[in-house]
Amino acid sequence: MSLQVLRIAALFYAGAVAAYVVYFARPRHVRLAAVGQWLLGIAFLVQAAAIGLGCKEYGGTEFFGLRGGMVFLTWLGAGASLVVQRLYRIPTVGAFVTPLILVVLLPTLFLVKPDARVEVPPEVLRPMVTVHIVTALLGVALFAIAALVALMYLLQEREVKGKRFGALFSRLPSLAALDTLNHRLVRFGFVVYTLALLSGSGMAKVVWKSAWQWDPQQVTSLVIWMLYGAMVQLRHTGWHGRRFALLTIGAFGLVVASMVTLNVLPEGMTRHGGDFSGERK
Amino acid sequence: MNAGRELHLVGLSHKSAPVAVREKVALGGDDLKDAMSTLAGRPGVSEAMVVSTCNRVECYVYGESLEEARRFFLERTADAEGHLYVHSGRDAVRHLFRVAASLDSMVVGEPQILGQVKESYGLAAAAQSAGAFVSRLCNRAFATAKRVRSETEIARGAGSVSQVAVELVEKIFGDLRGRSVLLVGAGKMGALSAKALRDLGADRILVTNRSPEKARGLALEIGATAEPWDGLTSLLALADVVIVSTGAPTYVITQDLAAHVMKARRGRSICLIDLAVPRNVDPVCGEQDNVYAYDIDDLQKVVVQTHTARAEEALRAEAIVEAEVTAFAQERETRAALPVLAELRRRAEQIARVEADRTLAHLGTKLDEKGRKSVEAMAQAIVNKLLHGPTARLKEAAASGDSDLPGAAAELFGVEPEETQTLPEPRR
Repeated sequence: MSLQVLRIAALFYAGAVAAYVVYFARPRHVRLAAVGQWLLGIAFLVQAAAIGLGCKEYGGTEFFGLRGGMVFLTWLGAGASLVVQRLYRIPTVGAFVTPLILVVLLPTLFLVKPDARVEVPPEVLRPMVTVHIVTALLGVALFAIAALVALMYLLQEREVKGKRFGALFSRLPSLAALDTLNHRLVRFGFVVYTLALLSGSGMAKVVWKSAWQWDPQQVTSLVIWMLYGAMVQLRHTGWHGRRFALLTIGAFGLVVASMVTLNVLPEGMTRHGGDFSGERK
Repeated sequence: MNAGRELHLVGLSHKSAPVAVREKVALGGDDLKDAMSTLAGRPGVSEAMVVSTCNRVECYVYGESLEEARRFFLERTADAEGHLYVHSGRDAVRHLFRVAASLDSMVVGEPQILGQVKESYGLAAAAQSAGAFVSRLCNRAFATAKRVRSETEIARGAGSVSQVAVELVEKIFGDLRGRSVLLVGAGKMGALSAKALRDLGADRILVTNRSPEKARGLALEIGATAEPWDGLTSLLALADVVIVSTGAPTYVITQDLAAHVMKARRGRSICLIDLAVPRNVDPVCGEQDNVYAYDIDDLQKVVVQTHTARAEEALRAEAIVEAEVTAFAQERETRAALPVLAELRRRAEQIARVEADRTLAHLGTKLDEKGRKSVEAMAQAIVNKLLHGPTARLKEAAASGDSDLPGAAAELFGVEPEETQTLPEPRR
């Protein structure tokens, strides 16, 4: 049932992608941007229903696995991008964010059952783990949007510096707007990610009896956290523009790489995402 | 059929007359309103509208002749003779549509002209010199201009060097509020761009020049602050947009200076626009992070591109204008045919009624109520049967734009319809 609803949500996402992309190609049709935002909002609500139904069907443990994580990540990404649209009104960002959401969501549509691997011991299921999952995924979603905005910055910078005042130049927003948005997303993402780290180590203390265990997931998370923290600091020393954009993309590359590698690591290497119980092997 | 009334246009524009002549006939505000009202009161003029901008003065009259429109110019200056162009009928309609759609402008596609025509029409309406015809004409002209704007890309791109500069600066800094502009050198083009940037919200304009008097003079003229030339480095550290146009034969802003300035700015973006020839900004400066450097060639290239693109779009726009001119003419003929029909029917029914009454009077009381009704019905039926064919044909002719038939019908039946003057209030 939840899967059917999720597929309906995906249809709305596809509609939003179409509206935003056509708007990007033909900016004269200003209404398409509003249509895209509406469709994105509807998709967000439908997906919320799908997630709610999923929780009822599988008891909420699906979000400990990769598939559930991706579903939740896209939902938070859609929500974050709706808020960004509301605050900054840069509809061209939608043309970059919505396709990514759809691409991440697509593989989850055809896995009928939620990840079978996920068996969560009862002592893990406490409010703090909810906080941890939500903040970790929201942080990643914000970093993803920041990376896309940074990509837009680099594209626009190439046009502006290369003196190519063509279609991209006129469609993309100003460098200052993109730079500011990028910075704010990084800063906000950093705050959220900090909460994820705190709640995560809180969980570790409860479940593993120790907040820090040199677990690969813990180590990479800390590295990512420090990198984004450094970016927030560097901003104050005048880092901005191209270098900041490159850094944003690089840091998000690290986030993606860590998500991929930690998921293919042989079981037992990391306790995260699979083995929550007992002592470290 | 309209007693020979037609739209006539007499005018002069940047294409036909030098500014010395244009400024002698240009009018504004209440003067323009008075002139239109006087013009509309002259013999042979039913309606009038005058469009007066810095690039054109055009006098549109709807009436029997264009003499009054010509006199409008010659009364103001005898110099106008020889610079005037004259159009009538369809050509005059087309001219107004092209003007409103900015196809006749000095910079094709510039957006101001439509507003100016609208303003003229508003004044004409207020002066009651614009009646039914001019109202319909103008509404059609505005609709045409709107179509041209939305269906072609004639207004796309930047049409002048200062416009390109403004667009560039907007793409780099976005909102210009809180930004400052520095003019290095007292060139005219630089001053123009600086003014345009201030209109967009740039907070302050600084001027510096080797000769402080010139800097002060220009600063006074454009409402800027003059700064000493020695402080150039610190000024560069301050300003976000720098427009350079000095007569210096070498680079005023070298790569070293730019690097030094960027350090002082802690990397904040700076846009260097070099309008001077020979160039005053070392082009290598633009290779540094967050330094955006452009020279006059870069900007001019964009202007040329815009103009080429607009010339292509203008062809599509002309087609739209032509279609609208035709549609307007057709609509006008349809309107012209309908009064003939109404008049014809009115006459026929009048005759039928009179004849029926006369017959009934003769017969006196020999007929009962039913018989009277039958006589009246018969008269009406004859009228209907007789007029059925002509009515259908006239309606057909009007719809297909055939203007001869209504005129011929009017001739044949001896009716002379006047175009109705009761029309809705003109829109402003």
